[in-house]
Amino acid sequence: MITHLRLELLKLVRSKGFYLSFAALSAFVMLMLWGFYSYAQKKTSGLANEQFKYTYESKTYFNGLTFTLYSLMFAFSLVIPIFVAMTAGGQIACERRAGTLRMICIRPVSRASIVVAKFLVVAIHTYLLLAFFIGLNLLVGLLFVGWGNLELYPGPLNLVDAPGRILRDEALWRFCYASFSGTWALLVVAAIAMLLSVIFRNPVTAVAATIAIYLMLYIVGRIEFFVDLRPFFFTTDMDFWRDVLKPEVPWPDLYHYVATCGAYIFGLMLTAVIIFERKDITT
Amino acid sequence: MLGTLFALSLVCAFVVKPASKYELKRESNSDVRSENANRLRLLTWNIGNGDLESETRAHTEDLPAVAKVILDNDADAVALQELTGNEQLKLLLQYLENRYSGYVCSSADGDRVEAVLVKKNSERGEYAYRRGAGAIFSDVPAGDRFAAAATFRVQKDSPEVVLVSAHADAFSASRRRQFATDATNWARSHTKSELTFIAGDFNFEVSTRNKNNLFTDHAKHDSESYAYLLKYFRDLGLDAGETSINDRRIDYVFGPMANVSLRRAEVLRSVAIGRMDHWPLLVEVAF
Repeated sequence: MITHLRLELLKLVRSKGFYLSFAALSAFVMLMLWGFYSYAQKKTSGLANEQFKYTYESKTYFNGLTFTLYSLMFAFSLVIPIFVAMTAGGQIACERRAGTLRMICIRPVSRASIVVAKFLVVAIHTYLLLAFFIGLNLLVGLLFVGWGNLELYPGPLNLVDAPGRILRDEALWRFCYASFSGTWALLVVAAIAMLLSVIFRNPVTAVAATIAIYLMLYIVGRIEFFVDLRPFFFTTDMDFWRDVLKPEVPWPDLYHYVATCGAYIFGLMLTAVIIFERKDITT
Repeated sequence: MLGTLFALSLVCAFVVKPASKYELKRESNSDVRSENANRLRLLTWNIGNGDLESETRAHTEDLPAVAKVILDNDADAVALQELTGNEQLKLLLQYLENRYSGYVCSSADGDRVEAVLVKKNSERGEYAYRRGAGAIFSDVPAGDRFAAAATFRVQKDSPEVVLVSAHADAFSASRRRQFATDATNWARSHTKSELTFIAGDFNFEVSTRNKNNLFTDHAKHDSESYAYLLKYFRDLGLDAGETSINDRRIDYVFGPMANVSLRRAEVLRSVAIGRMDHWPLLVEVAF
């Protein structure tokens, strides 16, 4: 298992997609910096300044930590899941397409350990992506936007019901927690992609189907027509990762959703393993 | 191993229930009752009608039912929005058996006005006297419109209370923000009372339930309006839930940060009248 994990990690770091994901996230941070900086400028000068003085009456609202929070919220919903799906969706289907899956399966390792080792690699990649993204945002925020406390208000980002504040050092810890809670939430997407990678022969189909399922439920979950269905979508449960960024972390909620996402992850992986063990590999 | 982890996660998910939002907030927003304190019962209600109606302002035929709700709930003061004018107020006061005095604000360029009502006769306590006779009414300039304000006392020796009946723009978050800022500033600078309440339909929704947008100027304006109000006031109806159709909480009663304890905050959903798209919000405080 350990040898297999090491081999899978080696494959991951040698793939172009691995570096592409980090490069794309870096580009997203730069785009966010431009947008955030120009928006903050627009809102604190000229007519806006005459009308409203400061955003939330705070001279330091726009700071590196707020920048990181916004950037992470946007990327987590729309960008990072795509790279997670790409990595996970290609794990089995790519091997099958390349003709190497048969060779892997004739090694003296169980098929279950092959799937689990591949999923662990995806989990490591997901954590690295999130940790890198948060770290880069904090660094860019510190250098270009400046430090301050993390001020939270009801409305944008829909994070809190009442104004709140997290002090700078505490906020840095919260971002550290978010890298773990975010990884756990994203592993649901990874598990779906792994399952589809086992089912489909073509990695593109597996990745596209995963992204389609994720985006469909993500969008449908935000349309009021489907408010009664919302609790049954995994995308609703995935939202728990943001709870660590609230001034008061709702721990019971967090534990509940961690367990719910765990049920999705292990349930999907169990299904993937069962299908993979019974699959006739002919290529 | 995967099967065990799956079963364990499922059990944990069922055993560890998320705390109900309502319960969490009840702890933070409800106060210890003070049996000997003065009681003040405020009601705010946008009595206008839904967008699909040809007349979206208050319907005169609904006024008897509106009066009944006010009388049944024994409100000390009432903030009403979207009346057509002074004629409707007069009619409503008649339906209220002249137990309330009232005032409508200037309409500015608009076609609807806000009203504030104050109960005249105390029916409880040893300090019974004609309270409404002493109520002072005024316009509150806010943004490009007006709100209506009343200054009165609940008991003879009790502190002065100020109630502002407000209705912010339904379509422009920027105008709502200006309105909220001006109304708040007026309440802070023009009243000496420590018991100032701003109640009405602010048309902004800042609930975490509303996840449709990622970040828009509208959301930011509304967020800043709410944050500015909360800088000086407390959202007394925070636990009461939605006040309008489509699960929206857009009617608020903002009260003092200190000096009052919240006894009750309830949206009276059973009293929907005609095709109105709002329910009354009733707040009771002790001071």
